[in-house]
Amino acid sequence: MFSLPILAQIMWTSLATSTCSVLFALAFALVLKVNRVFNFAQAAMMTVGFYAAFTVVGLANGPAWLGFAAAIVASVAMAILLEIFGFRVLRRRRASSMFVFIFALVVSELVAYLVMLVFGTWPATIFPSLFWPVTLVGPVAVSQWDVPALAATIVAVAAVFGFLRYSRAGQFMIAVADNPDLAEFYGIAKDRIHLITMIVAGLLTGLAMFLYGSRAQVQPMASIELLLFAIAATIIGGIGNLGGTVLTAVVLGIVQNASVLFIPSEWQGFLLYIFLFLAIVFFPKGIRLPERRLTRTAPAPSLIADEPEGA
Amino acid sequence: MTLHRRTLLGGIGISALAVPVARAQSAAFRFGLAMPLTGGQATYGQDQVKAAQWAIEDINNAGGINGKPLAAIVLDTQADAQTGIQAATRLASVEKVPAFVTAWSEVVKAVAPIANDSKVVELSVGANSADIAKLGDYVYTTFPLAAVDITAVARYAATTMDKQRAAVLYINNETGTVAAQIYRDVFTKAGGKVVAYEAYDPKATDWTGTLLKVRMALPDIIHIQGLVADTPQVIAQMRQLGISQPISSYSAIYNPKLIQQLGPAANNVIATSLAPGVDNSPAVKAYVERWTKEVGREPNGLPYTQYLYDAPYLVAAVFKSLDDKKIPITGENFRKEMLAIRTFDLPLTGKLTFADDHTVSKRVYLMRVTDGAWTQLAVVD
Repeated sequence: MFSLPILAQIMWTSLATSTCSVLFALAFALVLKVNRVFNFAQAAMMTVGFYAAFTVVGLANGPAWLGFAAAIVASVAMAILLEIFGFRVLRRRRASSMFVFIFALVVSELVAYLVMLVFGTWPATIFPSLFWPVTLVGPVAVSQWDVPALAATIVAVAAVFGFLRYSRAGQFMIAVADNPDLAEFYGIAKDRIHLITMIVAGLLTGLAMFLYGSRAQVQPMASIELLLFAIAATIIGGIGNLGGTVLTAVVLGIVQNASVLFIPSEWQGFLLYIFLFLAIVFFPKGIRLPERRLTRTAPAPSLIADEPEGA
Repeated sequence: MTLHRRTLLGGIGISALAVPVARAQSAAFRFGLAMPLTGGQATYGQDQVKAAQWAIEDINNAGGINGKPLAAIVLDTQADAQTGIQAATRLASVEKVPAFVTAWSEVVKAVAPIANDSKVVELSVGANSADIAKLGDYVYTTFPLAAVDITAVARYAATTMDKQRAAVLYINNETGTVAAQIYRDVFTKAGGKVVAYEAYDPKATDWTGTLLKVRMALPDIIHIQGLVADTPQVIAQMRQLGISQPISSYSAIYNPKLIQQLGPAANNVIATSLAPGVDNSPAVKAYVERWTKEVGREPNGLPYTQYLYDAPYLVAAVFKSLDDKKIPITGENFRKEMLAIRTFDLPLTGKLTFADDHTVSKRVYLMRVTDGAWTQLAVVD
């Protein structure tokens, strides 16, 4: 049962398939950290990103690169629309975070239903075939999807952390995350930073959905379910802690897959909710690792209190 | 919160989708058609409703029922129990139809009390949960329940294919668990041994751990009881992990799209069909050609649409018999007359006889992917 090849295969495949979850979780955690929004409407960004790529590649037989570009453009466009016509307006009206959350939830469902009307409900994939050829590396089967997905994810995550640490806009994002009012006092345009954050989330989401849709079937409602994993990773990893979120997404994927070697497989999905429950009850600020972050400290938005944002 | 919102949307959908034409035709013989027109299962539901509507057109073009038209009140269930209850309540209490057709096990079960209390015949056409046989006096199925095709495929694997060790992989919902148990019991009784019996979460997107457990058990054949959305992905991942054994499943995956999605990895996949195919029946061939001509493609879930096409013919036969005998059209009379006729000869699925336990038995067509195409492997009576 615990043979090395089995464990190696589980580790490798889980690592490869967790790439999409990592990107979804990072996008969600970033918006929560900087914009202080539980962006459930990320599901809408994911949905339009996937169906844009599906339209270009799956329906119009366009090249893969054009499908990728379409996914990125559609996700970013959705993110910009959401920020300018949704979150920014609600922020100016001083809407409570619960109201913003409900708005995001409604948008995600609305987009799912619209996409359902246009594309139907049949599960779709970007490429006609779900099967990726496999190469055996020792005892481990490595599919042709695995390595590019891992490489793209590593580059994207590194780019986000690099952007936050070294770019002017990234540093402003951290400042806004730390204290939005103080940041504004020092001349940082909060609205612009919120928009940039959503654009970065859109880029991550577009990439993630292109990767996901090239190996799995997607239905209009699928993004909402995928997002639950990202939310779980964000909470367990520690709200506001981007590194923790990324690490949690990877670990959760591996633990879920490896768990079937120890527990009945029907408990596999339940495990995520057990972790989530335990994290919320015992570690409401997330499971914190020893402090050594890539980004500067930002106070975590509260899960419990309804914090109105100052002008 | 999601459930309530969906329920609300479903309610709006029901109001919008009710066919007012039927009410205008007061002389028409009316029955209900409660199917998923929106939601995750709408791809199947919409094609099934189209098939039923074609049948109604064909019946009416051929003179209707003693010169009167047949009409359907079409309502959306979203394949959801709550929305299905709203639809069935409306059909029984407002539209006052004597019978209605519905599908999806969850919906069929949820609306059964309404059918029984209102004395309206509920015809389940496409759901295959074994429990449907025990839902009450007014609930009947025209579609063979899971035991029929799962029994056939399990017995065929153990006897004709001479497989000794089977692995069973099933989705952890009611459809999956019940069918998996049937496969395990039949395969074992036929002399085989089930060496792995693994469930997976309906929301799973990666099955590596479970599949490796199956691989370690060294089965001769693997039976997958999943849904149309997940089964192709499970098979793809299975082949990617080097699991090359023959795979069997059931009617949900009998679809040309599976071959497109899996390419060579689809070879040696066996599915069941509970209706004759184009090679077995000229009527089915003409029906598929009609789809290609009018819609530009084959229907999603061809066998299911065949049963839906046939359902209005069954309903029309009962109406005609009642009309011939000048018996009032009520649910009670509809049920009595349907059981009095009992055997119906239907255009696309052939002869149907209601058994005493409210079920039907049909031939099972085992289909296998060979060289990139579905070919008939065997017919099991």
